[in-house]
Amino acid sequence: MDRRDFLRRGAGTTLGLSGLGALLAACGSQTGAPAPEAGPPPATTPGGETAATTAAATTAEATSAEGELPFPLARPDSPVTLPIFDDNPPIDSGLEPEAGPLKIYNWIDYIWKRKVKDFGKEFGVEVELSSFYTMDEAIAKLATGQTDYDVFFPTPDRMSRLAYGKLLRPLNLDYIPNLANMWPVFSNPFYDQGARYSVPYTIYTTGIAYRRDKVKTDPFELANGYEILWDPAYKGKAFVLDDSREALAMVLLKNGVTDINTEDPALIEMAKQDLISLIDLVNVKYGIEDYTKIPEGSAWVHQGWSGDMLAGSWYLPEGTKPDVLGYWYPPEGGGVIGNDLIAVLAGGKNPVLAHHFLNFMLDETNAYENMINFNGYQPPLTSLSAESLIADGFIPENLAAAAVRQEDFENAYLLLELSPDGQTLWQNAWAEFKAGV
Amino acid sequence: MLYPRWMWPAFSAPAVLWLLAFFVVPFYSILAVAMGSVDPILQQPQPAWNPADWDPNAFTFVFDNLFYGGGIFQKVFARTIAYVAIAVVLSLVIAYPVAYYIARHAGRWKTLLLVGLVAPFFISYLMRMLAWINLLQEDGWVNEVLVWTGILDEPRNWLDGRASSVVLGLVYGYVPFMILPLYAFLDRVDPRVLEAARDLGASRFNAFRLVTLPLSTPAILAGVVIIALPMFGDYYTPDLLSASPNTTMIGNQINFYLRGGQLVPVGAALVCVLMAMLLILLAYYLFATARAARRLAE
Repeated sequence: MDRRDFLRRGAGTTLGLSGLGALLAACGSQTGAPAPEAGPPPATTPGGETAATTAAATTAEATSAEGELPFPLARPDSPVTLPIFDDNPPIDSGLEPEAGPLKIYNWIDYIWKRKVKDFGKEFGVEVELSSFYTMDEAIAKLATGQTDYDVFFPTPDRMSRLAYGKLLRPLNLDYIPNLANMWPVFSNPFYDQGARYSVPYTIYTTGIAYRRDKVKTDPFELANGYEILWDPAYKGKAFVLDDSREALAMVLLKNGVTDINTEDPALIEMAKQDLISLIDLVNVKYGIEDYTKIPEGSAWVHQGWSGDMLAGSWYLPEGTKPDVLGYWYPPEGGGVIGNDLIAVLAGGKNPVLAHHFLNFMLDETNAYENMINFNGYQPPLTSLSAESLIADGFIPENLAAAAVRQEDFENAYLLLELSPDGQTLWQNAWAEFKAGV
Repeated sequence: MLYPRWMWPAFSAPAVLWLLAFFVVPFYSILAVAMGSVDPILQQPQPAWNPADWDPNAFTFVFDNLFYGGGIFQKVFARTIAYVAIAVVLSLVIAYPVAYYIARHAGRWKTLLLVGLVAPFFISYLMRMLAWINLLQEDGWVNEVLVWTGILDEPRNWLDGRASSVVLGLVYGYVPFMILPLYAFLDRVDPRVLEAARDLGASRFNAFRLVTLPLSTPAILAGVVIIALPMFGDYYTPDLLSASPNTTMIGNQINFYLRGGQLVPVGAALVCVLMAMLLILLAYYLFATARAARRLAE
C-alpha cells in the first residue's frame, strides 16, 4: 500500500475505537458524562521560544497585518537561503561516525529495508526505522522536542519552517559527495539555496491516471488533458486526490492559472466552483488510492501521482493486462511536480552517521535499487533518463509520461508554503468542496 | 458512629479522578486549543489556558458557517444528524427483536448466540468496513444475490457515493452496542410481571405493548445514546464506503481541520460545538430515565 494511504485509515480506526470504548464506559457508569470526541492530542507547547504568538490570526476573516511570517516564503523567482543559527551549527568535517543506533524517521513504506540493513552492516551499527503517515503528524511529533531521530524525510514546502524552527541540523556537504550524482538543480534549489539543510530523495509529478481500455478519448489528444475529468461519460468513475492543495491546483492549471500557490481569493473561488461542478457533473469522489483503483477498474480517471502509477502494475487483477494503465501529464510540461528530501535532525544523537546515511542513499546503485526493488518513486539521478528507464523496462511504453525528466523540473510548478491567510483560504475552499452539494 | 464520615464518599474517589483525568482535563484542552492560536513557525496549537487570553475567532467562524445559509458546516451538520437518526432507528428495529429473542426464547442457546453476536466485533472496525467494500462492489456478493433473486435487473454500484451505503455501514458497525444493553435489560424483566398481565386478560401483544415495552424504555434510551454518540464522530465510514463529497459527515470536517495547519482551532471549535449538541441529547436521556424511574416507583 502507498505510504500516503495507511495513515488516515489506521489513525481513524484507533481514534474511532478508543472513542467508542470511552463512550461505553461513560454510559455504563450512569454518570451521564459524554467522553470527549476524538480530539487533538493533549497539546504540548513546543520549545519555549515561541512565546508571543497569541496574536496570530487564526480564522478566515481575521486577516490582520500583524500576522507577519517570521520566515520567507520560498518561490522559484525569490529563492531562499536558509540561515544557520549560532546555537545550531553544522558538524565539523572529518569526524568519526558514532556508534549508533541510527534512528530514521520516514514516510510509511517508503524505503527498501534491505538498503537500511546494508547501511548498518557497512558502518557496523544498528539502524531503527520509524514511520509517519502525514507531514503534519511528523512535524507535530518532532516539535515536542522529545524525539531523538537522526534522519528525516521532509517536503520542500516545509523547509523554511523546519529550519527556522531549528528542528533540522545544517548539513556539512563534505560528508555527502554523492550529491553530485543528482540533478545539478538540487545542489542549489530555490527553497534551500546551497543545499544547506536538504538533499533530494525522489521526484514525481501529479497528472491524471486513467484506464486506456475504458476511456473513449485519449487525454493526450485533448487540447486540455485535464478536461477528461470533467467528461460526464465517466460519471461515477472519476476521482480527485484527497488533498486540498493538489485538487485545487489541478483546477487552477486546467483554467490556465499557473501560479498554483496563489493567494488571490478570486482565483481560489473560481477553482473551488469549478471543482464543485464535478460533484453533479460526474459524481466525483476523493481518494488517494489511484494505484489500486485504476488497476482494479473502480476508477477510470483518477488524478494521481506518477510514482503510484508505476507501482500500479503490481495491483492489477489476474487477467488484466498491464497496458491498460495510462498516465497523462501535460506533454509540453508545466504540470505539478513534487519532490521529497532527506535531512538531518538537530535532536539526533548521531549526526555524523546521519550524514553518511544521506550520502549512502544518494549513491547511484543504492538509489536505483531502492526505486526498482521497492519504492517505485524515481530518484533524480543524473545517470537515469526517461529513455533509460523505459529501455530498462522499469517504465512501460504506456506509462512513458510517468517518467520525470530533468527539464520538467525547470518548467513545472511545486506546491509551496503559503502565508497563514493564504492557507486559510485554501483550506476553507477545500472544506466547502468536501461539504458536498 | 462506626465509620469515619469521609469513608463512603471516599469510595467515589477513583471515579472522580477518572472523570477529571479523562474528561475534564481533555475537554478543557480542546477548549483551550479552540480559543488559542497556532505558533507561527511550526504551526503547533498554542492553547489559551487562561480564559483572559481567549480568542473566540474560531467559534465565530464555526457559528457563521453553521447558522447562516450556505455555510461550510450547515449542510454537513444537517446531513450528519439525518444519517445518525436513520441509522439509530434502523439499529433499534434490528436490535430489539434480536435482544428480545435471545433474552426470552433462546433457552440454552443464549450464551452461544450472544458470543456469536459479539465475535465479529473482535475484528477491527477497519477490516470489517474493508470487507463491506468487497461485498458491495459491482461484482460483489450483494449484487450477485440481488440480481439472482430478481430484486435488481443489473448490478448496482453501491459504493458510488450513496447515503444508503453510509447508513448501512453505520448500522452494521454499531448495532451490537444496541443489542447488548437491550438484552441485559430484557433478560432481567421479571416473568411474573408478564404472567400477571396475562392473568389479568392482556393478550400476548398487549402484554408486550403495555408492560415489556414501557419497562424497557430506559434500555432503549441507553442503547440510542451509546450508539448515537460515536456515530456523530464517525468519519471513516463515509470515507471508506462512499468517498463522495455528498456524504461527508461532521467527523470528516473535524478530522480535516484538526490534522494540521493554520485552522486547528477551527477543528477544536467544531469538536466543542458537536459536544454541546450531544450534551443536549444526553441531558434528555438523563431526564427521561429519571422520569421513567419515578413512574416505576409510583
